[in-house]
Amino acid sequence: MNLKIIRDALIIGKMKAFPDLKRQPLLLIVIGILSAIPLFFFAVSGGGEMLSHGLVGAMVSTVGFIGVNSSIQDIGQDRYVKIREMIVATPVHPASYIIGVALAPLLLSLPGIAFFILVAMGMGILNAGALIWIAPALLLCWSSLSAIGFIISTYLYKSSPYTLNNIANILGIGLVFIPPVYYPAEMLGSLSWISYLIPTSNVAALVRGYSGLSGLSLESAVISWLILGTTTIVFTAITALKAKWRET
Amino acid sequence: MVAEAIKSRSLQKTYGNKVEALKDVGVSINQGELFTLLGPNGAGKTTFLRIISTQLMPTKGDADVLGYSVVKEAEKVRKHIAVVPQDVAAYGNYTPWDYAYYFARLRGMLNAEAKDSAKRALEAVGLLELRNRVCASLSGGEKKRAIIASALSSQAEVLMLDEPTSGLDAVARRGVWSALRDMVQDGKTILLTTHIMEEAEVVSDRLAIINSGNIVAEGNPEEVKHMATERFRVVVRGKLGSLKADYETVKFGDKQIIYVNTEDEALELVKKVLKMGLNAEAAPITLEDVFVKLIGGSNN
Repeated sequence: MNLKIIRDALIIGKMKAFPDLKRQPLLLIVIGILSAIPLFFFAVSGGGEMLSHGLVGAMVSTVGFIGVNSSIQDIGQDRYVKIREMIVATPVHPASYIIGVALAPLLLSLPGIAFFILVAMGMGILNAGALIWIAPALLLCWSSLSAIGFIISTYLYKSSPYTLNNIANILGIGLVFIPPVYYPAEMLGSLSWISYLIPTSNVAALVRGYSGLSGLSLESAVISWLILGTTTIVFTAITALKAKWRET
Repeated sequence: MVAEAIKSRSLQKTYGNKVEALKDVGVSINQGELFTLLGPNGAGKTTFLRIISTQLMPTKGDADVLGYSVVKEAEKVRKHIAVVPQDVAAYGNYTPWDYAYYFARLRGMLNAEAKDSAKRALEAVGLLELRNRVCASLSGGEKKRAIIASALSSQAEVLMLDEPTSGLDAVARRGVWSALRDMVQDGKTILLTTHIMEEAEVVSDRLAIINSGNIVAEGNPEEVKHMATERFRVVVRGKLGSLKADYETVKFGDKQIIYVNTEDEALELVKKVLKMGLNAEAAPITLEDVFVKLIGGSNN
């Protein structure tokens, strides 16, 4: 990957994130609040350990929900307003566009993640040392969910932005709020293996493991890292092969 | 000899083996001219522009932009072009500055250069004062000009604009025309598509009329207007009676346009019509008259 691709990706990321950051700062609060909603119910219904698990879920959800949501919605919206056509007619590489579109939500979710991490550290759930592992896990959550989003927007490129918005929301809820993200996989009993199938629950398991909230065997950690990496690579590769920068 | 900015050779595009959007289109556009592709809806204007701007592959044929093939050297072509697509919409959260600045950056300009270019582009389209207003609060014409500024700030040599004034009122449209002519004076080559006759006539150095995927006429606006044998039109209100049989007429309810070859014929006809107690006006033939004749759309 050459420097121009990275430079252009950063410009596109900035172009997509900064107008929102500057003019709609409330969006940052909305992103954080969406992820924090389950915490309210945990706090009301008992708090304690579940609140700690929920806080991990909020971290994962902040980066995951917006990752999958934005990669679908932004690409659909860019097609709709035709800014994508304008970008195609520039010397920008398609990889820069994809990375830039994915970077924007990451930038928007950073304050939320930082907030939840600080709260978790304040509650003694996290220590600074664990962040060395947690930060890359959250980054892989972002990249794998963005890759899933890209593949959906690639295959559904003829769908209207409204359809894509609905799909993005359903997928976001399906990947973030239903699987063991806000709660430990052990609560699923014999079905706990399901958590390996979903990128977000793998990330949550890793964060819980590295923070000491749950046990994490070396074998489980390796499987989770592999699944996250593979999801990102495979889905990105399929997108690269299938997506058409130039129509035929 | 004037160098060619765009040259298409036997360009063909068929969608899904059925719809022939372009049939063997060959067009030459000189550097530093504003060339308009004029045609009815579905004539192939957008398809042509999208192929030339490397967004769509042709089925057959090729085209060069500043000597680079749009089929084989798309990356090189993209360094020299900027596009304003048809029905482009502005992001409500973006300002004209965002459009002009970020697209300049995507052209590889450094921060200071991009800021300077964005400023000049916004000045050219008359939006410098409104540069920090979000597009959601701008008028339709201002939004369009903000997007045109993004193409202009890129400092691309060749600009391609697909119906940039559609949906704009007359005042806003003229603002865009003025900006386009300024760009041409600065040495840019512009490929414009439109179905607005006045636009084609006023802003173009040369134009081509496209219909059903074929170029049916090409030249400067005056040359194209002379492609019809008739030179004058007489608009008559009321029934012409037996007089109608002597002329080629196009009827619109109680009004009809009668085409004649010379000014004398037009004046003679006006006299006859006035004698019949009807109203009549004579004028030179318009580009729209020629356009309708050439594409065979007359309801005569």
